[in-house]
Amino acid sequence: MKSLETKSTETGEKCKISRRQFLFYSGAAITTTTVMLNIPGTARAQEAVFATYPRMWIGNMSDLKTDQPLTFNYPDNGPHSISMLIKLGTKAGGGVGKKEDVAAFNTVCTHQGGPLLGTYNAEHKTLGQCPFHLTTYDLTRYGIIVSGQAYQSLPQILLEVEGDKIFAVGVMGLIFGRNNNLIG
Amino acid sequence: MSTPYYTPTDKVPLPPSDAEVLTTACDYCIVACGYKVFRWPLGREGGSKAHQNAFGKNFPVNALEEWVAPNQHNIVMHKGRRHHVIVLPDKQTKAVNFDGDSSVRGGTIAQKCYNPNTPTRDRLQTPLMRIHDILMPVTWDLALDVAAEMARYVIKTHGANAYSVKTYSYQFIENTYAITKFARRHINTAAFTFHDTPSDVTSTPGFRDTGFDNFGAAYSDWANAETLLICGTDPYETKTIVFTQHIKPAIEKGQKVIMLNPRETAGAAYIKKMGGLHLDLYPGTDNLVVNAIARIIVENGWEDSEWIKKWANNKWETDSGFGQGTRNTPWQWRTTWGKFQSKGFEDWKKWVTSQKEYELDYASRMSGVDPAKIQKAAEWLAKPVNGKRPKTSIGIEKGFYWSNNTGNTEAIGALGVIVGAGGRPGQMVSRFGGHQRGGQGGGKYPRNKSPEKVPGRRRRALDTDRWLYSGHTRMAHVIGTTWIQSMCGSQGLQKKFHELTLVNPHQVRSFNKQEVIDTLKKRVDSGGMVVINQDIYLVDPIGSKFSDIVFPAATWGEEDFMRANGERRLRLYQKFYDPPGDAKPDWWIIAQLAKRMGFDGFDWENANDVAEEAARFSRGGRKDFNMIKVDAHAKGITLHERMRQLGTDGIQGPVHRMNGQLVGTVRLHDTTKKLPETGAMGANMFNKKTTHFNSQTGKCNIMKSPWSIFSDFWEWMQPKGDELWVTNGRINEIWQSGFDDQERRPYITQRWPENFVEIHPDDAAKRGIKSGDRVMIYSNRVPVHKDTILGVKGNDFQFASLLKNGHIKLDKGSVTGIAFVTPAIKKGVLYSNFLDKRQPSNAIQARVVDWISGNYNYKMGVGKIVRLGGSVYQRDLHSFSFAPRNII
Repeated sequence: MKSLETKSTETGEKCKISRRQFLFYSGAAITTTTVMLNIPGTARAQEAVFATYPRMWIGNMSDLKTDQPLTFNYPDNGPHSISMLIKLGTKAGGGVGKKEDVAAFNTVCTHQGGPLLGTYNAEHKTLGQCPFHLTTYDLTRYGIIVSGQAYQSLPQILLEVEGDKIFAVGVMGLIFGRNNNLIG
Repeated sequence: MSTPYYTPTDKVPLPPSDAEVLTTACDYCIVACGYKVFRWPLGREGGSKAHQNAFGKNFPVNALEEWVAPNQHNIVMHKGRRHHVIVLPDKQTKAVNFDGDSSVRGGTIAQKCYNPNTPTRDRLQTPLMRIHDILMPVTWDLALDVAAEMARYVIKTHGANAYSVKTYSYQFIENTYAITKFARRHINTAAFTFHDTPSDVTSTPGFRDTGFDNFGAAYSDWANAETLLICGTDPYETKTIVFTQHIKPAIEKGQKVIMLNPRETAGAAYIKKMGGLHLDLYPGTDNLVVNAIARIIVENGWEDSEWIKKWANNKWETDSGFGQGTRNTPWQWRTTWGKFQSKGFEDWKKWVTSQKEYELDYASRMSGVDPAKIQKAAEWLAKPVNGKRPKTSIGIEKGFYWSNNTGNTEAIGALGVIVGAGGRPGQMVSRFGGHQRGGQGGGKYPRNKSPEKVPGRRRRALDTDRWLYSGHTRMAHVIGTTWIQSMCGSQGLQKKFHELTLVNPHQVRSFNKQEVIDTLKKRVDSGGMVVINQDIYLVDPIGSKFSDIVFPAATWGEEDFMRANGERRLRLYQKFYDPPGDAKPDWWIIAQLAKRMGFDGFDWENANDVAEEAARFSRGGRKDFNMIKVDAHAKGITLHERMRQLGTDGIQGPVHRMNGQLVGTVRLHDTTKKLPETGAMGANMFNKKTTHFNSQTGKCNIMKSPWSIFSDFWEWMQPKGDELWVTNGRINEIWQSGFDDQERRPYITQRWPENFVEIHPDDAAKRGIKSGDRVMIYSNRVPVHKDTILGVKGNDFQFASLLKNGHIKLDKGSVTGIAFVTPAIKKGVLYSNFLDKRQPSNAIQARVVDWISGNYNYKMGVGKIVRLGGSVYQRDLHSFSFAPRNII
């Protein structure tokens, strides 16, 4: 739980920390804004993983404009942490907000580490083609590959909403270049 | 089986600095990228500092470095102990996959390894025998004794042709050698064929007639061409690294690419973006487009006259081709009617410029391709610029040669010759390839025993599907293929299998060996059939429903094996973990059967023994590896050990040994290559194809490719009323890996949980179909060539004659799928994955072979599509994606 000492705690949202601790230790079914996979039998393991990530304020709902990505670094400022927050305007797997259309992703291609920032396609809600080997990802479907050579989906940054504030609270999937997301 | 819910993880173990490192190559597509396997015992892990891991890299690593994705890690048994393995594309290789690049398929190949905690848990581990209609585990001895006794009995009682062998052609040299030695040399059955064709015939008759080897080119030739014509495939999707490491960099430097394909795939979209041409034709019209291009070239005098003068046969030289063999050669029966043979370039030119169907307007109208694009393609391929000819290469694959097999391949052969391609660096004509080249003949196919005759009384390799339909097959031996779903009009074939096995009253209800044998003998004597199956998984339905005996096979990574890729590059695929349970490699299973049947020459101790015996039979072939064995023995080591030393770089066949050094062959038909003046010293063998072409004179034949051999079939098939063309093929994420990817690799199962049907937005709107809808494709017009007949008169096998004479039956077929509405597919055409075992789209495809060659034209089907309802994939966002794949 070392990462709780980082930027996220500066927001002073103690009740949220408690809630994540609750998720970590309980195993109750999750139906809150914590997002993610409603996979029978796997929820517990997933939550345990998420609970180790820093909680970081990354933007405000009121500042988001449809199809205009905001960039941020997560879970740290180390290599390959460059990520984007996007209001897709259409419901997304893992999306937050009233329309469940706000999502965030790491932007380093999970094939060979190509840069994807700037390749957002507003019409189809995709990221890519990666300039290296042409992979594309579907941001409405948990970052799954649309076409291409990547070995997994784009890592999705898990979000929580507190009033107008959006917090990054975890990463679903290994970030390119790392052997552990929390060692940057 | 895998579920569509892949759960990603956020960490992965690194190999410690003392992890063992073994080399292998990918098991899947033709390209066979080089891989390294890092193996170490469970209980510890490497660290993220350079000195703590086997890569010698500080983590996080940079782009293109040795990152390990979670899908590249697995846990396997090695010598009975659990080990971590990480299977990574080799970052140090000097061949094929530079930069350690890989496709999504090979990149996640570690998931292929047997691990009971993954969806591979249903690997076959023990022989099974159907008793009381349950496949029960039995001993190897019982299963082998029964199979061998039944084989002996069937051959003795019903003849060798009653024993039908259907096998993969590619799954390693050691296995294919053993299988073909057993089936073709010893059993000597004409009812033998490979996984992708009903008869053992050449895939590319036109290449053979012209004189081109299927795999003459080197990957560098695709890169060094100035104009590249790609027919019937998107290498980005199905030859990924050939595209990303060889073609894409060339495009970035100005290579002009022309692609013939009814779909705008991801690679096609990239090619277009970079200024290339996509000729989006209707299925089966390639012959018209290619010959229209050829006609424009010769009408403008853009042909390579110098090359043609030197390397194309004239009338007398072509005629001498008839002396190249006895009657019965494929050449003979394909050419003697005068339909294909030309008297040289001028005669062919006269022919191509006088056929009305090759007029630009006609070809454009029938193919649905913009005439301006056809004109531009002709210019790019052959028009000299400032007096300099473009260096042109041509690559083809299944979309092209499986739609009008003979007509298309003959046409591309002639086009190749006139643009000066085929025999120089950067100017080659080849197949891009499908499966890897792991075939090594251990016996000759007995064509003279085939009862099938084409007009002219010439024998053709037996159509094993029609043979089975007609009830002649009493024992079917199926090795590593589905047989049923991978053939055309497959639902009719499935019905026949059912009738011959399960419906027969003689079913085994005893464990007593003699009673089992007696029951099965009664079955075959009453017109029924016994089925034995070798595979790594229980395949539905051939294994699970129809087999009497199932043998568990060991595969990639579980035995040392040799194989070549699409540029004839030979590598050793090393064993790095224990096969599951009691599974054995196919060569071993065959040897056990053969010995029990009294055949000699099957006393191999290990895979290397098989490879060393096979070596001498590879001499003269495109992947001749005999000199590697000679070199190995000179060094006091085995062939496999020598191959191990060659690592992921391997060596390109045919391999020679000069001054004690092994020397590979970059390309075949290399007219620029100088052979040593001393000739082939020692055991070396220089085949004609090294520096010349595969014809009597060593020059190319320019062949005619008449549309009329196919046009009656095409016109009959053309969609009527509400019908659409139904074609199928491969897709990037599932490609020669379906048994792993689609079914047992959770991430890919998540991406493609079911078969899909691509439909154009206009066609979809008309039928009220939206992306994600569950649809059914169905047809009452699946033409089935129902009898094995003798052709006597010239046109007896022409489709119109078959129809007129009552040899074509109309079958029904229907499959479901998930609609994917996309403008990437041509309007009027449906497209789906060719081999999803649950939704086999081949059920719709015409079961009529190309009447000249004997291959199926798998791409040709016609049917209707109807919306059945919505699907879960419209609500659940975990699976599928309906975003277009041609986004650039």
